[in-house]
Amino acid sequence: MKRKRSIVTSRRPASRSLAPPMSTRPARRPGTPSTDPREARPATREARPATPRTSALPARTVDLSVDLAPDRPGGLRLAHPLLVAAGGAGYGIELLAASLAPPAAIVTRGTSLRAHGGAEPPRMVATRAGLVSAIGSQNPGVARVIEMYGARWAASDVPIVLALCADDRGGFAALARATDAQPGIAGLELHLGCRDLRRARRVGADPSHDPDAVAAIVRAVRAESSLPVIAKLGGTAPDAGEVAVAAVEAGADAICAIDAMPALAIDRVGHRPALGAGGGRLSGPALTPIALGVVQQVARAVRVPIVGVGGVATLDDVLDMLMAGASAVGMATAALADPGLPGRLAQALEAWCRAEAVESPREIVGTASQRRAARRRA
Amino acid sequence: MRAGTAEVRGARAGTAEVRGARTEAAGAEHRLTASLEILPGRWLQSWAAPDIAAAARPGQFVYSIGTARPGLLPAALPVAGVDRPRAIIELLVDEHALTGEGALANARVGDPGRFVGPLGIGVPLESRSIHLLVVADIGGLARVRAHVHEAIGIGRRVVLILEARSAAEVLPSSLLPDEVEYVVATRDGSLGHHGDAAELVPDYEAWADHCLAAGSDELVSRLVDLARGRDARLGVARLGRRPGRRSSRAAAGRGRAHEWLHVVLEHGQGCLLGVCLGCVVATRGGLIRACREGPVIGASGLRGADDA
Repeated sequence: MKRKRSIVTSRRPASRSLAPPMSTRPARRPGTPSTDPREARPATREARPATPRTSALPARTVDLSVDLAPDRPGGLRLAHPLLVAAGGAGYGIELLAASLAPPAAIVTRGTSLRAHGGAEPPRMVATRAGLVSAIGSQNPGVARVIEMYGARWAASDVPIVLALCADDRGGFAALARATDAQPGIAGLELHLGCRDLRRARRVGADPSHDPDAVAAIVRAVRAESSLPVIAKLGGTAPDAGEVAVAAVEAGADAICAIDAMPALAIDRVGHRPALGAGGGRLSGPALTPIALGVVQQVARAVRVPIVGVGGVATLDDVLDMLMAGASAVGMATAALADPGLPGRLAQALEAWCRAEAVESPREIVGTASQRRAARRRA
Repeated sequence: MRAGTAEVRGARAGTAEVRGARTEAAGAEHRLTASLEILPGRWLQSWAAPDIAAAARPGQFVYSIGTARPGLLPAALPVAGVDRPRAIIELLVDEHALTGEGALANARVGDPGRFVGPLGIGVPLESRSIHLLVVADIGGLARVRAHVHEAIGIGRRVVLILEARSAAEVLPSSLLPDEVEYVVATRDGSLGHHGDAAELVPDYEAWADHCLAAGSDELVSRLVDLARGRDARLGVARLGRRPGRRSSRAAAGRGRAHEWLHVVLEHGQGCLLGVCLGCVVATRGGLIRACREGPVIGASGLRGADDA
């Protein structure tokens, strides 16, 4: 028989159970309504009424909301944990205009200080492992982006997180300055390993591998902007936890993991790389196990919310990400293929929570790590 | 290269709403009525799709929904033929393609399918054109096939130059309308002209008043170069403003409306909203998306081999 799920969240140390031991819980007077929604549940599966769960639970409300910046004034509160990750909806204008179930938030395409022409075509090729693409951060520059889309973002109910691309600390700081207090921007996502601009300007190694470089970038952005800041990590850092700690200590409100992985596709007829830029990035389901590993590493190292990204396309992927430690889940390639998917998966997650008697997805965040730790202790 | 072109053009009023509505309508189900392997691994499929057949133009494409493997975007399939009275569209699919096209090739008669479309800009119907030259390789055949049939249907004379690696890849002439003059070029010389299709174009450039092409980047760039020098080779007089006089913008626009060469760009897969920027093509005027500003584009905007 399935055991009752233990309730824990990533906001608490893994060693502590959320609910106090039964023996220390104060007794409630007969007839006094409980303030703790968990107490409305029977203590054990056996104690539940024998009626089917689906008919017994329709009145139960599921709180899908999640705050990606709970410590920041105003926060970054999302209606549910399913958002469109960077690259999954461009600047979101087409998606906002479509009559689809809305995502919790839209993270825009990576935006640089000045216009960037992007990579040479061809830019996208199908492989057995997924999509290898090299868009090259094509964007018209942050000022033009705000001018074109700012008003429409401000009029939308869906929070817009502007993804920032720069090749050094100064570039990120200038972007943060340009976007601070702009209407319609709910938060900033820092693409710390943005290869496109570094390659274009032929500058140094990937800063997302270096905790000191990451801390310097986040600190520079924090000094210029009061908006919630999400630091996006790549999947290739030797110790993602260490990088995440550096980002959080420098002022990041949340961590996003992971970016698409470096990859190559070959044009066998032409004996050359299939993409105009040469190398590209792999996205799709092949990334999910890698992303889960990084999310778990980061969840063990920091206590801020994590946005899990990487090949997510099904409810199972969403649950895996949550149980690995992500508080929210982003979709890029899957959202390009099916723009309504994040909204539909949010509905599916709500249904799953009802069926599993989970009152909020927050309850299952990080449970996979915590169960393993408990098993080791036992 | 001009940055941000796609964003600017993507913001056209009303377009997004239309795309959104189409995305919602992706549930419309279509059914396979016939499937014929016309070349090894290449299937000509007929799909009952009244909603698409009613509006489809040669050069436009449809997205196949639900056939792509997870992690890939929907396959973009050119409309290879339209039978409006029977409400049928024809698609030419390659069973070896890694996009959803491969899965679609395995469909059997009676199987359901879901397509969104027609999308993109179709081939312009040049009212003054009488002689049509169509140049394609095997990969580009699906993109021009519908226009060959339509042109024959309205009484135009058509020459089709098809390029293939060998005789084994050459489309049987029985699958083309009888009225089409069919010229074959093979790379290995096993059938027809030994060489590529572009080498045959000068023989027809004086006869043809409109040319449509689709194929590999090499073929297209060679044709673009040929089209650029065509007027000079044929001694075509340039009408319009005289040196030292200002031109009227309206007159210049009318002059440009008729291009001798149109190209149907390749577009393997893409998003449903035009936001992925994966099908971008570099033109003389900047970057354009094959899915929104294409796939049919006048050759004057494209880069030729000489521009590289």
